[in-house]
Amino acid sequence: MTIADTISEETPRAGSLYLDSFKPRLMDWTAARVFAAKNLRIAMRYPANFIIWGVMPLLWLAPYMLMMTALGGPGTSTSFTEISGFDNFVKFAIIGWFVFQYVEASIWSVGNSFRHEQFSGTLEPLFVTPVPRISILIGAALSDTVQTSISAIVLLTTASFLFGVSYALTAIAPIIVLLLMMILALYGFGFMVAGMILVFKDPSVLTQFVGTALFTVSPVNYPLQALPIQARYVAYLVPSTIAIIIIRELAITGVFEIGQFLSAAAGLGTTILFFWLVGIASFRYAERWTKNRGSMGGF
Amino acid sequence: MSDDKDSIFQKMWKREGFMAELRAINAIAIKQWKVEFSYPLSVLWFIVMPFLWFIPMLIAGQAVVGGSESAVLGELVGTTDWLSYIAIGTAFTGLAMSMFWGTGMSFRREQSVGTLETLMTTPMKRSTLVWGSMMHNLQHGGLGVILQLVAAVLFFGVTINAWGILPALAVVALSILALQGIVFALTCVVLLAKQGWMIIEFISSALMLVAPMAYPIAVLHPMLQYVSVASPLTWTVESFRGFLMYGFAAPGIVTAIVALLILDVVYIVVGILMFRYTERYVRRKGALSQF
Repeated sequence: MTIADTISEETPRAGSLYLDSFKPRLMDWTAARVFAAKNLRIAMRYPANFIIWGVMPLLWLAPYMLMMTALGGPGTSTSFTEISGFDNFVKFAIIGWFVFQYVEASIWSVGNSFRHEQFSGTLEPLFVTPVPRISILIGAALSDTVQTSISAIVLLTTASFLFGVSYALTAIAPIIVLLLMMILALYGFGFMVAGMILVFKDPSVLTQFVGTALFTVSPVNYPLQALPIQARYVAYLVPSTIAIIIIRELAITGVFEIGQFLSAAAGLGTTILFFWLVGIASFRYAERWTKNRGSMGGF
Repeated sequence: MSDDKDSIFQKMWKREGFMAELRAINAIAIKQWKVEFSYPLSVLWFIVMPFLWFIPMLIAGQAVVGGSESAVLGELVGTTDWLSYIAIGTAFTGLAMSMFWGTGMSFRREQSVGTLETLMTTPMKRSTLVWGSMMHNLQHGGLGVILQLVAAVLFFGVTINAWGILPALAVVALSILALQGIVFALTCVVLLAKQGWMIIEFISSALMLVAPMAYPIAVLHPMLQYVSVASPLTWTVESFRGFLMYGFAAPGIVTAIVALLILDVVYIVVGILMFRYTERYVRRKGALSQF
């Protein structure tokens, strides 16, 4: 008789209604909700973070605005208007930074969520719970969306006030729809990053590199036309590119065109499908790879 | 054998003077390099990072200007060559970041790996630990500055005045004292607040914002212009860029260097006093190794 058999016989069977009736499922929404609530409860312990992460990006955004003002004059330049179609680069950039906050969150928060669990010593217990991993990932993503939305709204409001710009609210409904679709696509992207961090462990270099690369090719401060042609193709692989372009158009002009909206929604729909498939597949592969090497709890 | 050991310890405890501290500074810098080389990707990233940050600025500048000359910048600072202005100005970013983050968090790093108390009981001055970390970050950040300048010259056609290279290095050396004063203040924040990274992020980002790295301070809000004038980074970047663009003929160079010298004295004295007081306070409270 092996030691495992002996222990198994001696240990009284720890049963529960849930475990007795447990069948593997594709998705457990209760687990996702509980995980999201747990993360939000921790976040609420540090309320200043919501404000700080809303104000801090102002210190990163302002140097771009000041540089562009020093080079092109206050607010506008002929060259910028020609390539972007917009006459105010401050208005152009602030909305770009607002949307990009979600991209940053997908890398730093969703992608790093398992790393945080690892540092708290709860990663391995979490991985032995009888719930699909995808539920945990979605729970992490949902809580991060709530936190990021608060910080992004603080950023948009403060920056608009400080730089004296305003946006049209007439097309707010399509903006929200597109934003939600982009957030969904970014979830898939975040799953992919989470898988990479399970494998590579130390996320600092990886996340910083991915973040900087995405920021460079995204039309946050400048239009896509300012990029070299090859980089423009890469930009369309970033889940947020279509959303930034169309949300900006709607927020600045306030004009809703059904054709433009539908083509953007179709593009984002394709992106959601692509990134969810790739994200889940990458995460599953990374999880298997890490488990096979026994390095799940390793630092 | 035991006598030999005793005499080594006795010699160690008797060590004092500038040269002894300098050797300790050098040993700390080398130790930090050895630790960092265990993570080669991380070393590489922190060297190339300022250059990667420069690329979006370059694209944004090109989108606004649409060519190689900016008339608006010409009116503000006297040169229309915006690319050289920004490339040389932002080259200093990596060094400043390395100093603020690497050195400011040095105590926290030692605390996290459990070596802070051991280091504090070694027979060296407490501030030597910060100076040693500064020495390492000066070397690390310096590599980033060189890389960005070389890449700017090779890939973007930036021209550098060869006569200005040595004086620009002298400016960097001169700026170290004032920057170290800021770093001492940041170390105090870390010692008191423990997890002080958010405060360091805020202070370093604010100092970068008011420094004329990619734009002249004339475009800042008047209130921020006063803050900028009181920051050593402002005069360092102005004189560093002035020497590299115009050599000894750089406009306003004497004013910038005199201002930097005055700020050096003010910042280092205030920084050292703050550090001395905070370090004693934290030790008295027995909170040195608290997390």
